[in-house]
Amino acid sequence: MTDRRASWFKGVLDLLVLASLTGGESYGYEIAKLLGAAGFGQIKGGTLYPVLNRLEEAGLVAAEFRAAEKGPGRRYYRLTDAGRETLGEQGGLWLAFDTSVRELLAQAGVEPTR
Amino acid sequence: MNMQDQQDTYLTALAGRLRAHGLSADRVEATVADLTAHLEESGAKDPEAEFGPVEEFARQLAPEAATPDGPPEEHVETWRWTADTGVDEELLNRFGDQGWEVERVDAVGRFVSHRDLARPQRWEYRRELITRGREDLAPDGWEVCGTWVIYAWFKRPKAASLGPAAEIAAPPPAPERTNFLSRKFYALLASLGAAVALGGIAAGLDDGDASSGLDFAAGLLAGACVPFGLIVAGGCCSPAVTADRTYAATYVWRLYT
Repeated sequence: MTDRRASWFKGVLDLLVLASLTGGESYGYEIAKLLGAAGFGQIKGGTLYPVLNRLEEAGLVAAEFRAAEKGPGRRYYRLTDAGRETLGEQGGLWLAFDTSVRELLAQAGVEPTR
Repeated sequence: MNMQDQQDTYLTALAGRLRAHGLSADRVEATVADLTAHLEESGAKDPEAEFGPVEEFARQLAPEAATPDGPPEEHVETWRWTADTGVDEELLNRFGDQGWEVERVDAVGRFVSHRDLARPQRWEYRRELITRGREDLAPDGWEVCGTWVIYAWFKRPKAASLGPAAEIAAPPPAPERTNFLSRKFYALLASLGAAVALGGIAAGLDDGDASSGLDFAAGLLAGACVPFGLIVAGGCCSPAVTADRTYAATYVWRLYT
């Protein structure tokens, strides 16, 4: 059977990125590392940066480019008020959805795969 | 190509595409710097494996309004035309300045060009022998837009050098003409015809039988007429049909010039 985790991940990646910025500003590769450490595997730049761009266009994150003393500069992202609000609303809906799925699967005797 | 060259090539091409998609110079510079830092920190060796194909990645990074899923069809003009190698570069650059972007050379040797009427951009072109690798020109932002037998045509958005000034405020109407074969091309046709006739005369004199010379010339002419006959065949001529018929002649011209 097809592994659906990639499509689940894409569906929720914007929320995960917003969530990763609740601890303060961050930049692309650091966000990728944080998500990887959370168990989502290696996030390619080709997946992450378009999401960051869309979030910025939607006003959910604000970005600022800072030149570095050594090497190229980076764009730093931070949550905006609208982003925090969206994270609360959409994150809550996801958790409710997750709860319903869990309950039904538990009733069917399904256990998490190790 | 070593890893650094590979990254430079990718990021240069990406910068060109982002400008063509309407991103400001500052934004392009910041994006490229950010992605360079990402490659350095992640240790990713192959930028295409990390970010995906340049064009696709550029489209994803471009503002939503500029390229949602490509421009609406009604905002894009398509024009197919042909020229021989005596004039092709000059014409490609002339029409490139009018916003025509060649997307490919089709099966019959025409330049299939389109123009985004919403945001027409200037393009520049060059032709090289196909043996000259893409790697040679890619660092300067050139990308292949068509190949034909021994030739490869390269395009580059002028936004790469001009920035926002590369956008055309009022593009002229699409040319009605689709056939741009040069005088040199027709001179070559005449030369080929003369050579066939001389060959026939020589063959006739060689064996003392005029009819064998005529047969020889007739055979050569018949063979030559197969491609050139396509030019004169047909009656009503839509511009596209005219362009189709010039293909065979263009083929011969390009092979011999």
